[in-house]
Amino acid sequence: MSPNPIAQPEWKKRADMKVLNTDLRRVDGEAKATGRAVYSHDVRLPNMLYAKFLRCPHPAAKVVDLDLGPVSAVSGAIHALAIESEETSFLGQPVAAVAAESLEAAEDAIRAIRVEYETSGWAVTEEQGLDPATPSIGRRGNSFVDRETGDLDEASAAVASADVMVESTYTVPVQHHCCLETHGLVVDFDGKRAKVWASTQHVTGVSQQVAGELSISTSDVEVITDYMGGGFGAKFGIGIEGQTACRFAKELKRPIHLMLDRADEFLFSGNRSGGRQILKAGANMDGRIVGMTAEIWRHGGIARGSNPGQPYIYSVESSHMQMGSVHTNTDANRAMRAPGHPQASFAIEGIVDELAYALGMDLLDFRMRNLEDPVYHRQLDRVAKEVGWYEHGYRAEPNRSRGGKNVGIGFGISVWGGGGRPVCVTSVRIDPDGSVTASTGSQDLGTGTRTYVGAIAAEEFGLKASQVIGRVGHSAYGPANGSGGSTTVASLAPAVKDAAHKAREQFAERLASWLECSAEQVRFEGGEVYSTAEPGKRLSWAEACSILGSRPIEASGEFQGHLQTQGVHGAQAAMVEVDTQTGALKVLKMVGIQDCGLPLNRLAIRSQINGGMIEALGYALFEERVIEPWLGYALSANFNDYKLPGCKEMPELVAIIDDDDDRQQVIGMAEPTIIPGHSAIANAVHNACGVRVYDLPLTPDKILMGLTKKA
Amino acid sequence: MTEFSDRDSKPGGYTRRSFLKGAGTVAASGVVAQTALAAAPETAEGRALVPRLAGEVEIQLEVNGKTQKVKCEPRTTLLSALRHRVDPPHTGTKLVCDQGACGACTVLLDGEPVCSCMTLAVDAQGREIRTIEGLADGDALSPVQSAFVENDALMCGFCTPGFVMSVTGCLEKNPDASLPEIKTACSGNLCRCGTYPHIFDAAVQAGRQMKQGGTK
Ligand code: FES
Ligand code: FES
Repeated sequence: MSPNPIAQPEWKKRADMKVLNTDLRRVDGEAKATGRAVYSHDVRLPNMLYAKFLRCPHPAAKVVDLDLGPVSAVSGAIHALAIESEETSFLGQPVAAVAAESLEAAEDAIRAIRVEYETSGWAVTEEQGLDPATPSIGRRGNSFVDRETGDLDEASAAVASADVMVESTYTVPVQHHCCLETHGLVVDFDGKRAKVWASTQHVTGVSQQVAGELSISTSDVEVITDYMGGGFGAKFGIGIEGQTACRFAKELKRPIHLMLDRADEFLFSGNRSGGRQILKAGANMDGRIVGMTAEIWRHGGIARGSNPGQPYIYSVESSHMQMGSVHTNTDANRAMRAPGHPQASFAIEGIVDELAYALGMDLLDFRMRNLEDPVYHRQLDRVAKEVGWYEHGYRAEPNRSRGGKNVGIGFGISVWGGGGRPVCVTSVRIDPDGSVTASTGSQDLGTGTRTYVGAIAAEEFGLKASQVIGRVGHSAYGPANGSGGSTTVASLAPAVKDAAHKAREQFAERLASWLECSAEQVRFEGGEVYSTAEPGKRLSWAEACSILGSRPIEASGEFQGHLQTQGVHGAQAAMVEVDTQTGALKVLKMVGIQDCGLPLNRLAIRSQINGGMIEALGYALFEERVIEPWLGYALSANFNDYKLPGCKEMPELVAIIDDDDDRQQVIGMAEPTIIPGHSAIANAVHNACGVRVYDLPLTPDKILMGLTKKA
Repeated sequence: MTEFSDRDSKPGGYTRRSFLKGAGTVAASGVVAQTALAAAPETAEGRALVPRLAGEVEIQLEVNGKTQKVKCEPRTTLLSALRHRVDPPHTGTKLVCDQGACGACTVLLDGEPVCSCMTLAVDAQGREIRTIEGLADGDALSPVQSAFVENDALMCGFCTPGFVMSVTGCLEKNPDASLPEIKTACSGNLCRCGTYPHIFDAAVQAGRQMKQGGTK
């Protein structure tokens, strides 16, 4: 088409950007603030049925008898299905499901089902999992070691010969994703084609899986995720809810609405694995960590759990690590925002603090001596300044005074990849009426995808962000990867940029004769189009588009590796106040800095940093799955018993984008923001009063117990 | 309450929840409920002997200034009535915990923020119900709504309607509300994405604007 070779798409210099790298309002903010945004939960179709699960109340049981018969007597109940009629292997596992005319009728139908269970031994704690009397849970036995690195003898010798040595066991509980919109979907299947509204992190994947369940081709499945109420890693596959909704839809030929209830969500939609880490470490007077051994046990229920391993980000001269899992009869862990990393962070940041104190060294200085990457030095320095570290009186020893309220400061760091993959195919369209759309099958989890998709095209055409419609969350808009590993932006943004770039080149080509110049001379700026040969002669965007006549511009884009990269860093600091009489803990301030290559929407990035810090604050202070160990009852399956941080617990939050990172490429950054916050808080508690809490959450009773001992 | 107490019932008997939600009808209009419960012995075992309450009654609800007839069961919560039974369904109000722990279902009942999941539909009769759908005037957002958009006080947006209603309830009573007062007003609302700091900014800005403009 063009006589000239098409130039490669390149991001503009930051200084030249008018839309990207600014504070952009979310384009769907209005829909969300008015209640007009339709989530999967909100889909209402004529003739629709509501489906619901019956959960097994035992950690593991034989299903001796499952009687669905009584359901037929329930008014409004339409159908019941057995899901698991032989044996259950985790607490809360669904055994049956019903479909009914209303949610209330579905509840009645669930209660009408009669099940007889036989239980014989199960495990809900690590101890029970290790008990030889516990029946086998996993294929590899109830505990196994699957990773070992380094030389144990060498590392142990290094620890033993160090100037100071510490040894501690750090424990973290199971944390829940707590997406406010539960998992689920609405399936409308007429026997040939299906339309599905799914609360998912992977629209493309859902269309493939639903097609499989319904035995139709993927092209006959339309998946819509206009809005979804949070994912955090738990919403990739269609899950048992998707399979069940498809079964009902197939058998009943009526639209099925199957959204999990809150207890379902807590019991069988995944979680962040817990774990126990036994660390021994030694450091020399010069402030170098010379040896470390780590024994790591992940608690992933019937799954493996996750942990990236130790010594995590720190460099240790000689280290050894052994990692394994202990199974219990509890829900399988799933990916959750930076899977494994917050767990690793809690142990390593604790032990690093312990070593610094043992040496009597400044906590920040000691960290820097054991971090090779200079980015961490600058980031730690920045958060230290912001939190007031350099004016703080207790930098190398904790405050041990008693009787009043003490203030302490702590630190933590994070690492992440965030690079993209060649999956997304996007499109950009310019219509003669002046409207511009940028479309992708990718989804917006609340991260702001829809906003930057439009903004990238707006930047390309010299328009305002509001002049481009970003369309996301529809299988018809092209394939896209799942939003996991913070890979969305780096996978998607280059493909959108590519489409916008091609559309601009085509448009320039079409306008060249009109402007009596070459395509290369056409410029799109400030809502106008002109030729560099004759800058005085300008067309408004609307005029330029009207020239397109009946032929709109349409370009499709693909991944462009050079527009993205990977590798991000972060540092956070927390300032807390501990009441040394009661153990009451208040987080006063959290500061987080994050690099991310080229920032697309600064406002949304700061929101992400805040969000990460707040989720870490919940992990630090409150969040913990509790299961009664002798009866196997779930005691924390709703928000009255599983506490999330709220308004009253909010500290002052400072979210900083690290602008010293001048990489001109896009990188994902949402996940690392959750990695170090709880570690910084735990370290700050110790700094405030000399009490180290080794098992999260940091409840006042644990702090008080420590204060009592040290008194 | 764990999920098991919901199931902990004898065949044909009450669950604790359907009993509690059914009991609300005594004070309201459920004639069936009244007779049934009046005869019920006060003991827990006695309650289980009461035949279950079922069936729909027609009630009137005034939602965002419009009154309509709605068929509800005695146990139907206001939340469920809004999301499933009024016409058209008002799905802006969200169901999250169904136990009064998250505030996502907040609506204004005679100007007071309440958890609609903890309010029986029959008990909302004769009262003014305002939901998130009733705040904007056509395309013109309310000051609280526009402040939320401007300050990025929403991410996934699922908690947003509840927060907007709590903040609105607080500021309509007192646009001068201090930040601690706003925090108290929203202390029953949860956001997992972590929009709190931006919600605080938005609420303060909206209060300022409401004081100046006197708009609702
Ligand atoms: S749904 Fe009503 S408070 Fe959570
Ligand atoms: S914005 Fe997602 S829960 Fe609040």
